[in-house]
Amino acid sequence: MTAATEQLPTGAGRSTDPRRRTFWLLSLPSAVGLGLFLILPILFMVALSFRNDLSGQLLAPFAPTLKQYAKVFDTGSYWNLLGISTLMAFGVATVATLAAYPLAYFLAFRAGRRAGLYLILLLVPFWTSYLLRVMAWRLMLDSSGVVNSVLIGLGLTQDPLDLLYNRGAVVVTLIYVWIPFAMLPILAAMGRIDVRLHDAASDLYASPWQQLLRVTLPLSLPGIVAAFFMVFIPTVGEYVTPLLVGGTGGSMYGNIVQAFFVQAANWPLGAALSVIMLATTLLLVVIGLRIVQPRRLLAQ
Amino acid sequence: MHPRRSLTTTQAAFVLFIAAIVAACGGSGSSLSPTAGATEPGATEAPPTEAPTEVPPDQVTGNLTVLEWPGYETTDFWPDFGTKYKNVNVSFQFGSTDAEIYGHMKASPEQYDLFHQYTGWLQFDVDEGLAAEIDTSKLKNWDKVPDAFKKIGQVNGKQYFVPWDWGFSSILYRTDKIPSVDSWGVLLDPQYKGHLSMWDDGPGAVTVSAYVHGYDETNITDDQLAAIKAEWTAQAKLNKTYWTAPSDLESLMNSGDVWAGYAWQGSYAVTKGAGTPVAYANPKEGRNSWVGLYGISSKTQNMDLALRFLDEKLGLLTNQNLVKLYYYGSARQDVMDGLNDAAQADAYGGAETQALLKDTFSIDDPSILQHTNFTPNLTADQRDAWTAMWTEVKAAQ
Repeated sequence: MTAATEQLPTGAGRSTDPRRRTFWLLSLPSAVGLGLFLILPILFMVALSFRNDLSGQLLAPFAPTLKQYAKVFDTGSYWNLLGISTLMAFGVATVATLAAYPLAYFLAFRAGRRAGLYLILLLVPFWTSYLLRVMAWRLMLDSSGVVNSVLIGLGLTQDPLDLLYNRGAVVVTLIYVWIPFAMLPILAAMGRIDVRLHDAASDLYASPWQQLLRVTLPLSLPGIVAAFFMVFIPTVGEYVTPLLVGGTGGSMYGNIVQAFFVQAANWPLGAALSVIMLATTLLLVVIGLRIVQPRRLLAQ
Repeated sequence: MHPRRSLTTTQAAFVLFIAAIVAACGGSGSSLSPTAGATEPGATEAPPTEAPTEVPPDQVTGNLTVLEWPGYETTDFWPDFGTKYKNVNVSFQFGSTDAEIYGHMKASPEQYDLFHQYTGWLQFDVDEGLAAEIDTSKLKNWDKVPDAFKKIGQVNGKQYFVPWDWGFSSILYRTDKIPSVDSWGVLLDPQYKGHLSMWDDGPGAVTVSAYVHGYDETNITDDQLAAIKAEWTAQAKLNKTYWTAPSDLESLMNSGDVWAGYAWQGSYAVTKGAGTPVAYANPKEGRNSWVGLYGISSKTQNMDLALRFLDEKLGLLTNQNLVKLYYYGSARQDVMDGLNDAAQADAYGGAETQALLKDTFSIDDPSILQHTNFTPNLTADQRDAWTAMWTEVKAAQ
């Protein structure tokens, strides 16, 4: 190191590192994209939530008001539905993650050279529209659908069961939709596990079950946590699935937000509801992360 | 020796890439406002013209952007313009509710030349300066529209909209399950629990309650709105599902899951055409009727082309298609009159379809139309309060 570089402050030395410069240059497009298409719209939505109404120019200055938030806080049913939606999201994320784990395990440790093929097969549903995948469940759960036809055919019931148009249908459909999605971060985490650890555990007379509980599970926990939150977060605000299979009693919080945007053109109230949902979800994620402490998991 | 891994770095990167793609797309569900492709690529921009009739149609060029409802972009809905103005490039963007159409116009009126709105929302467009006044002297087909329809397109005494499609709202019911329906109250009747289906719309619910209880729909009080909320909260226990697309209701009626539902006349034609035993009620409170109208954006740079488009929207073939293919009513009186003329059966898809259409629009019973309640314009306060009421009904389940 020369005398000149020794005199430079630490930060200046970093900025001349070509690898760092490349990193920042490569990050720039995505940072700009995120800023323009994620951060800016969220800020716009927050600003919108403080408007009195939608009259006048959207980008013109306005006198901020808490009227929309007062309306939300005064309406107990909205909070009730937010609670129900959060619980549904928790249940969907838990079941989807649990169901995805064996799939990821199979692909990571048992599928061998065909893992890539199986992975593609599992992702085939993603090649079709999300709407079509949800609509397929209407055909499954309808009164004359596949499930009822089988049940009636087997003589287990005489009249078709009400499987569609309720919260149960929403939960089942969402679990189906999210399982392959939940599998991906778990698979990525398992891909980082050194399989010689399994050999070592086996040499120490650990049973397969003990290997799973004492080796694989702890090392794949970061993937499990990621999978859970990657399902939980979007499910809280879900509105398409309840709209299609939820029926009268299957609404979720996202449907209320949607109604104010696309049925009433009351964007300020819809924005206030969205901000509250965003804040609630963020709070729950922070609490969840504090409990599971992913840094500790990664350190393992 | 390198540690043996079941997934290579490349495979892991692929997994993460897929995860990122799915994260971006998976939860969004649907894209409700896609942009349709241009129909006549290669057209050039037209210079503004003062007198539309002076330029031969085949020499007119330019681009038009129509803010439409999904499905209305089909060329069946504008064949007169399409065949006459071959060198005009018409593209469509979409809103699937009146609020979405209004929202798109509000956000960027300069992006659209024309927009399609329904009764109840016209006042907002004018109040917000989104609609341009229409010079109807440039519409050759304007005299085909009855005065009653013309008036519906007037706001503050000026013609801002051209009426085009219309229809009824009433109760569609299965005649094998319910002998007869003579009141909107059937939608609130506990004896049909689990077999009713209401339209997912707050103002629609307020309208039904107003008809049933004799409220003044244009002046619903706070107490009445509270009673309406309680009424529909109780009704939710009877309701199979709220429908958002007519096809949902039609499917439920055909399968027999739903016996009575709030419906537009098209659903009657579709289900009856499918052989389902259905009837379209003439409730003692009167049916509801709505009208779809086209407005010209106040920010359009293509006023001449927009007027030409509107004129051809009132063309004969366009309106016959509207009636015979999609079971909507037409603002052209002669097109509706044609349903009564056996000699014109071929223009309406044959004698059988013509008879179905006559039945659908109750052509043989003019008293039905006379007894019909037309959807009034809402105020912003009503729109917000009624939708808020409806969201609370749904949130309370």
